[in-house]
Amino acid sequence: MNDTARLLRAGAAVWWRDFVAWRKFWRSSILLNFGEPLTNLLALGVGLGAYVAVMQGVSFLQFIAPGLLAVTAMNAVTFDAGFETYDKLNSSGVYAAMLTSPLTVPEIVLGEYLWEATRAILYGAVFFLVILAFGLVHSWWSLLLPVPLVLFGVLFTAPALYVAAVARTHEQLFYYFSLVITPMFMFSGVFFPVTHLPWIVQDIIYILPLYHGVVLARAMVLGQMGPGVLWQFVWLIGYAALLAYLPVRALARRLTT
Amino acid sequence: MRSRRVRERLFRIKEFAPGGGNGYIESRRKELVSVASDFGLARGAQDLPREVIVARGLEKTYGDVHAVRGVDFTIRRGECFAFLGPNGAGKSSTIRMLSCLSPVSGGQLTVLSLAADIGERRIKERLGIVSQDDNVDPDLSLMENLLVYARYFGMPAAEAVRHAEQLLTFMQLEGRSKAAVRELSGGMRRRLVIARALMHRPDILVLDEPTTGLDPQARLLVWGAVGQLKLQGVTIVLTTHYMDEAERLADRLVVMDHGRILQEDAPRPLIERTVGREAVEIWQQPGEDDQTFIAAAGDGLILSDRHGDTLVLYSAEPGRIGQAFAVRGLAPSRMLVRPTNLEDVFLTLTGRDLRE
Repeated sequence: MNDTARLLRAGAAVWWRDFVAWRKFWRSSILLNFGEPLTNLLALGVGLGAYVAVMQGVSFLQFIAPGLLAVTAMNAVTFDAGFETYDKLNSSGVYAAMLTSPLTVPEIVLGEYLWEATRAILYGAVFFLVILAFGLVHSWWSLLLPVPLVLFGVLFTAPALYVAAVARTHEQLFYYFSLVITPMFMFSGVFFPVTHLPWIVQDIIYILPLYHGVVLARAMVLGQMGPGVLWQFVWLIGYAALLAYLPVRALARRLTT
Repeated sequence: MRSRRVRERLFRIKEFAPGGGNGYIESRRKELVSVASDFGLARGAQDLPREVIVARGLEKTYGDVHAVRGVDFTIRRGECFAFLGPNGAGKSSTIRMLSCLSPVSGGQLTVLSLAADIGERRIKERLGIVSQDDNVDPDLSLMENLLVYARYFGMPAAEAVRHAEQLLTFMQLEGRSKAAVRELSGGMRRRLVIARALMHRPDILVLDEPTTGLDPQARLLVWGAVGQLKLQGVTIVLTTHYMDEAERLADRLVVMDHGRILQEDAPRPLIERTVGREAVEIWQQPGEDDQTFIAAAGDGLILSDRHGDTLVLYSAEPGRIGQAFAVRGLAPSRMLVRPTNLEDVFLTLTGRDLRE
């Protein structure tokens, strides 16, 4: 069998394991990943939105909805990849068992990307249905949302896997969540346009991957697609490509001593 | 054709049965043989090389720690080969290297004629690995555990379902296929790991301390299954620190300590060569002296060993020491005469000090 086919089949086997485990708890899992962005949408969009008349030409609720979709996907991927991977490494021995089969560490990592990309699309889609019901979707371009979500499945999974591989305790995982993910959530242009911020701050925000996901999601949902949007894709693809191999060595170090 | 082979195998049970003797085990074994033969658990070993695992000067280092210091061994097709040793002897490191779970630090290691460091994938396709920690997947049911694992090997789904059902029966887990792994006892988890390791019909089954922590009934079941798979032509590699287990299951064994192999042989010859056939244990009473007994035992004595208040005298011929004592009118107040066993060999070779 040629290498690509083998790699994909192996990745699909790992994906299948995660799917079988997930489908037992899918209801509570969706509810858990759904509560927070929905709360944000209602409390901030509807509540705070009553005091914020217009933001970049649309209502505040309309402004934050696509960004929250991107955040939902990021969180669905990050927390699952972080916690599940930590447990697979440290308590359940799921990865150790995989390595008694012909599966290799790169194949396992690929499988996790495939699974987290699936989750990103799935949880993004559920949130999409909500904003659709709120009448906040305005363009058929929205059908392209799975593309950035799949990229999220790689670029946010990779660092989470890496952190899970190097973390010695559960608490250390939270460092990553609270020092990296939460600030990114706050400053990636979900709640306010970044254009009025000082240049230096804008430059920093511009290197955050979530920012490009938010801009892209907003452009798709509002139908404001233009050639500039291509740059957001380039950033997301670049991040995914750059980070994809990051967890492989860290996991291999943990698993094959 | 198949049924004839099965009959022949059944016919040979007695002569294969390690240790022999135990009626219950024998009957369990026969029962399981018929079950497993019907299922075709093994692929049949005809196409395998005669020497399935060969290690020469094999070494393992972790940083400054030299866990395995150049060991040589050859495991033959169809046999049960055991690694014995106290904790930290290097047996798990060795078995992890031959399972391709841990890179070789030095020396040569070939498994099924493939070098362990480059043939990893192809070796793992033909190895069933039961590791020490029962790493069954806690999020999946028993059946799902087996089916998901079969996918890692690219096994067709329909075949996997059929084989998984057979294996659950074989390990006496039938009727629990939908149960959650979290509900299983330790013994059931171990049986599930063994069933899982057999999903892809491996040629070699590697068991790292397979019965540690199991109750006597579960141990019997595991032993029955192992003996049974051996009859099917599966090569068994095992580590243990239960001497009765090694004596019962192993065709050949090595005793390891401090990363080296101290002795290698079949259990019985190894026992007789090292500690003879009979052990006389004397609990020392006030006024009794080691030297008196050792001198009295005369040329019947192979070896003497003292631990705590017990003196153990080993003799090549049963009854010889007792006779010698009688001739000299010696009657130790507390004495036990018993056949030698692997434990004597083990303690003689590796000493009585605690390792941890």
